[in-house]
Amino acid sequence: MIEVNDLTVRYGGVTSLDGMSLTFADGVCGLIGPNGAGKTTFFNVLSGFVRPAAGTVTAFDENLLRMTHFRRARWGVRRTFQTEQAISDLTVYDNVAMIHSRLRGAARRDDVVASIEFVGGGVSPWAKVGSLTAGQRRLVEVARAVTGKPRLILLDEPAAGLPDEETAHLTAVIRGIPEQTGALTILVDHDMALVSAVCTTAAVLDFGKLIASGPTAAVLRDEHVMRAYLGTAEV
Amino acid sequence: MIDTAGPKAPAASSRPPVLDRRSLTRFAVIAVLLLLAIFALPPLMSGYYTDTMTQVAIYSIVTLGLGLLVGRVGLYSLGQLAVLMIGAWVGARLLFATSQPYILVLIEAGLVTAIIGSLITLPALRLRGLYLALITLMLAGGVIVVAATLNFPNGGGGFSGYNGALLHIPAIRRPSYAGTDPAFYRFSVIVAIVMFLLVYAHLRTRPGRNWAAIKQSEPAALAAGINTTYYKLWALALSAFVTGVAGALLAGADRELFSIDFPIQNSITLLAVVLMGGAFSLAGAVIAAFLQAFLPALLQNWGVPNDWLIILFGIGVMQVLATAPGGIADQFPKDMKRLYRLISRLWRRPEAGIQAGAGGVSGAAGVSGGDGA
Amino acid sequence: MPSWAEFQPYIVTGLALGGLYALSGVGLVVLYRATGVLNLAFGAVGAMGAFIAYSLIQAGDPGWVAWITCIVFGGVVTLGYGMVFGPALAGRGPLVQSISTLGLALVLFGVIDLAWPTTGGQSPSISFPTDNGGFSVGQLQVNWTQVIALALGVAITVGTAAFLRFSKLGTAMRAMANDREITATLGVPIRRVEAAAWLGCGLLAGIAGIMLADLSALDDTTLTFTVVISSLAAALIGQLRSIPVTFAAAIVIGLVHDLITPITQISNYQDMTPFVLAAIALLVMSRGQVLSRSREEG
Repeated sequence: MIEVNDLTVRYGGVTSLDGMSLTFADGVCGLIGPNGAGKTTFFNVLSGFVRPAAGTVTAFDENLLRMTHFRRARWGVRRTFQTEQAISDLTVYDNVAMIHSRLRGAARRDDVVASIEFVGGGVSPWAKVGSLTAGQRRLVEVARAVTGKPRLILLDEPAAGLPDEETAHLTAVIRGIPEQTGALTILVDHDMALVSAVCTTAAVLDFGKLIASGPTAAVLRDEHVMRAYLGTAEV
Repeated sequence: MIDTAGPKAPAASSRPPVLDRRSLTRFAVIAVLLLLAIFALPPLMSGYYTDTMTQVAIYSIVTLGLGLLVGRVGLYSLGQLAVLMIGAWVGARLLFATSQPYILVLIEAGLVTAIIGSLITLPALRLRGLYLALITLMLAGGVIVVAATLNFPNGGGGFSGYNGALLHIPAIRRPSYAGTDPAFYRFSVIVAIVMFLLVYAHLRTRPGRNWAAIKQSEPAALAAGINTTYYKLWALALSAFVTGVAGALLAGADRELFSIDFPIQNSITLLAVVLMGGAFSLAGAVIAAFLQAFLPALLQNWGVPNDWLIILFGIGVMQVLATAPGGIADQFPKDMKRLYRLISRLWRRPEAGIQAGAGGVSGAAGVSGGDGA
Repeated sequence: MPSWAEFQPYIVTGLALGGLYALSGVGLVVLYRATGVLNLAFGAVGAMGAFIAYSLIQAGDPGWVAWITCIVFGGVVTLGYGMVFGPALAGRGPLVQSISTLGLALVLFGVIDLAWPTTGGQSPSISFPTDNGGFSVGQLQVNWTQVIALALGVAITVGTAAFLRFSKLGTAMRAMANDREITATLGVPIRRVEAAAWLGCGLLAGIAGIMLADLSALDDTTLTFTVVISSLAAALIGQLRSIPVTFAAAIVIGLVHDLITPITQISNYQDMTPFVLAAIALLVMSRGQVLSRSREEG
């Protein structure tokens, strides 16, 4: 369980997050909102790249903000980015093995291979990432997110730009993450079909403020949410 | 790329296959070339070119260090010359003041340089890459100032080891087993090989992979749990270490060190040749060393002013950054492959072949020549 | 420890040099903010312009023709570089684009050495008629050139700050510094704004070059590197963003550098001033940093 209390982020006169207070339940939670609503900023706070002006984040009873960025990763925060982070010249195995893990030796190797097998999609551990398709490279990012006993997984628009069949496969993979890893997953995406398919709960941000949260189906029907989206002529 | 000659066949187990035919052939070719360089070259070279090739061997270590930073970690340093000077100074001082074995002096010079280099760059590590480049440029300026004042050791006493009043300046000593110029040349080549192996070992193991991650994207590396400040520092320290060793070698090669031997524009030309030679591969470091140390000697022999080379390097930097980030080392094999394909295609059409072949070959050669510059 | 009287003359020279460093530093910052490129060829461009002016004067042209040529040369070369290599390197990031300007610096440096070889005999120099006139403040001698140098520094700083805030072109530059894509979608002709920034930076390089050739030395190494390092240090301390801080830092660098001259124990090391000051500034800056990528690269 993750508890966010009164989180505020200001940068250069703009308030990207304004007193956000929310509790994330276990499983997969969706975080949606128009562009510029503060979703990426929120991820940046969780990853440790941005220091909030105010507020606290308690994850599994630990004060997350107290840890420096790479220590959070070692504690178990995993994140995918909107741009690809896997290194094309290295193999899939090397890319996944780069993620810090508390396991050692043979257990570590098996865990890496298991993560790669979990995402499936025809991705071989010994292929160079540069030789994979775009969809397969996304799966590599997900493999990097589920390896090494993660506790909190942040998925930043994993389905952006993918064709339908690959989105369908990705949906199945994401749905399997809680069982595979036991981690809490927060998913940011604009694909409402994906969000309603995998997220049990959802929260909506607009202009840095939380405007709705709760079970996904209810949130997606909320009139404030629809106004926020239609108002920006997006989606 | 030379260094990521990786496994080919997919395996069900969690161990990748280690060696395959391509990397074995590559190792064999490199080994043969090195053996030729060590044994076959010296009798063929005049004294002038023996000295020049010694400089090439030494500077290949410097370009190795800089290539590591630029090509592997994404850190641009404009202060590699300053690091070299520190190494040369420490080496010369130790060689005059002590009678330690040469190898020990090399290592000590490397370590001292590594410590100083790390301390200087520490403030800039957590800031933008541009700031690191700038602070290293200023470091170069600063060190050159100090060197002009302090002078290089020349056998005198005191901390600086410099005595301006000395009439007869003793030559910096060389190892007892490598006193002559050809012997010192071989010694330098062997030290260079050891340094290359040291860096290569880093690249193939965890530091190398983490550096690749940092170069790709620092936020992502942090998100993967990599302590980027620590690894950046490690790269800087390793780069400074090998360059320090090169500096101490330089002391023995030149036997007398003067600060005018290190003009500040070399700080920039070093980066230029590394970019042009190819920052991403070890072969690129060797090519860069040839550009930095061999071409000037060649031009000097022919009576051509060195300034043409500086202009060439300036153009080279702009061209490499704009079009061919991998430098000559990257472009040359690609051009050779293109040439090969062109020739084999023409070979199959004998009638049209002969005339078109002549035109085609010179055209393709023009392409590779142009990219090389 | 030298006496106050021994320090005094260096206050004047330090302020004059500081003014020129401020002029250069501000030029660097404005260009960086508008285009994302740090023009490290600033000094080389000014140096070559100064040498051209020198040759013109040797050939008999009146002084003002030579100086104008120098300034125009600076503008043209810098603008030319920006128009060719701006698009070629677009999107590669400030680091790569700034390193590329070093290529230009090398080319110019080599050309200067070829065209004006330093053979024996009289070393070239530039002098202005204002070098001879001056006034005294107490026991201090101040010549008009030094006054002009400091005045130019102040004028350019104030003028640039005002220009950025109040003029349409200046506002466009500030918008581009913030976010280029959005500015483009707002209908701002970013190419033209960039060209203006490059041209402005080049003209300032020419002015700085000719003045430093007079006040300091007409020497390619000094003008290409030493000056750039001092102005860069000032711009760095201003975090490549703040014009007032850049100005203040430049003045401080100029003053500290020259005031060290009479202190014989360390006077040999005075050229390390910009380095030491910038290193301290960077140390202070990195205290508050969480990540080394700022938003623009994030």
